[in-house]
Amino acid sequence: MHLVRHHAYEFGVRGVDPNALSFDLTTAIARKDKIVGGIISGIHSGLKKNSGITFLTGRAEFTSPVDIRLDGQAITADKSILAVGATPTVPTIPGLDEAGFITNNEALKLGALPASMIIIGGGYIGIEFAQMYARFGTGVTLLGRAPRLMPKEEPELSGQLEEILQSEGIKVHTSTEVIRAGRDDTSRYVISRNGEVEQRMNAEIILLATGRTARVDGLGLEQAGVDLNGAFLKTDDQLNTTAPNIWSLGDANGGQMFTHRATYDGPIAALNAVKSLGRAVDYRVVPRAIFTEPALASVGLTEEEARQAGHAVKVGSYSFAHSGRGKALGQNEGLVKLVVDGDSREILGGHILGPHADMLIHEVVIAMQGRSTIETLAKAIHIHPTLNEIVKSAAKAVQ
Amino acid sequence: MDHYDLAVIGAGQGGLPAAHLAARLGAKVALIEMQQVGGT
Ligand SMILES: Cc1cc2nc3c(=O)[nH]c(=O)nc-3n(C[C@H](O)[C@H](O)[C@H](O)COP(=O)(O)OP(=O)(O)OC[C@H]3O[C@@H](n4cnc5c(N)ncnc54)[C@H](O)[C@@H]3O)c2cc1C
Repeated sequence: MHLVRHHAYEFGVRGVDPNALSFDLTTAIARKDKIVGGIISGIHSGLKKNSGITFLTGRAEFTSPVDIRLDGQAITADKSILAVGATPTVPTIPGLDEAGFITNNEALKLGALPASMIIIGGGYIGIEFAQMYARFGTGVTLLGRAPRLMPKEEPELSGQLEEILQSEGIKVHTSTEVIRAGRDDTSRYVISRNGEVEQRMNAEIILLATGRTARVDGLGLEQAGVDLNGAFLKTDDQLNTTAPNIWSLGDANGGQMFTHRATYDGPIAALNAVKSLGRAVDYRVVPRAIFTEPALASVGLTEEEARQAGHAVKVGSYSFAHSGRGKALGQNEGLVKLVVDGDSREILGGHILGPHADMLIHEVVIAMQGRSTIETLAKAIHIHPTLNEIVKSAAKAVQ
Repeated sequence: MDHYDLAVIGAGQGGLPAAHLAARLGAKVALIEMQQVGGT
């Protein structure tokens, strides 16, 4: 919709009246449900083919380290792997319950497009929903507590992304704490504070995206002998919990909460639980992405983190404004920034804001995994005309 | 009472590959899910 509205004419498409366009959320959600439904039935048929797996439905609760109760039945298991994931963290904000709020769980199930939405949380989930709903046509206000959105990302990139979101009409408020929420006759509201300044904002929907907590309610951790470390499960580097016969993986352990981390953990937990192989996890190179448009993807250290870690840092960056392919696509925003150890020339981090950043970052991922020097990336011949050429150009720009 | 070598709690993104590999390694696996396979 966004593309059609803003770029159809530029690309030579005629007969589209941008003002006549409308968006039907129900259809979009039905399409999403159909895609997810296909994936789920694929998973079920994979499970049926694996005769070693018995699939049980129910909420598991440990009554001892080897006894598990689930909705009416009880089983025993010599060993267990906790793969329970995480749930949205609900902060204590006075009035929030009375106001009523949704989390990411409900945000993809709304029956109708809301006219307005306040999103609390300036991390990747808040940002992705902000752009998505804004492009659907909702008036979005995004509130972040940190001085900038995505505070752990390279400031140049997250700053530029913030500007892009604002240029699309999203009202971004950083350094902003929500101190109260409530509901009046017509809408919900929050009172926010930025320094000494308090502000009241109204919206139809309040969406919370304020972090995640291990999903361990009612799991019987105490009976299992499994300890928490803050909001997450405590494990060693072999994913073993404090109970010697129980391992844990993925979001429930905190850290980098991504699907690709959980799927990386899975086989390691299985090998250690079943074969006692003592494999340790290695999270040195775990990429991350925010699926905005343009996307922001990164791996490894930011320039500041590398300096703090004591490296003699060199950086190189290059803008997508110079990309012929980007121009052809009509997507010229963003840049690639690479962080390098000046002595060893090893690549310490890569940061990309731009078209298909989530795919481009894998050049840096592979290079870092093999501990390549920046020269490898700078000398590798890249196909023209591709977006990848900008990664090479950034590598060449490192002094 | 049914007995298993390994119980995997949660058939989400990490639980599924863990259960599949464990079964391939010869373990008798119970995979337990309270909502929907595929997880979050
Ligand atoms: C809005 C949103 C967008 C995201 N986008 C991305 C993305 O673009 N890319 C990416 O890599 N990651 C993304 N993630 C993160 C990703 O979804 C998680 O990192 C991943 O699902 C973690 O896998 P997991 O196996 O640890 O947990 P999950 O996939 O959450 O699976 C846990 C499963 O355990 C089940 N369970 C929990 N407790 C019990 C119990 N007691 N008994 C039985 N079953 C139980 C749950 O029902 C669930 O099915 C996103 C997350 C959110 C919320």
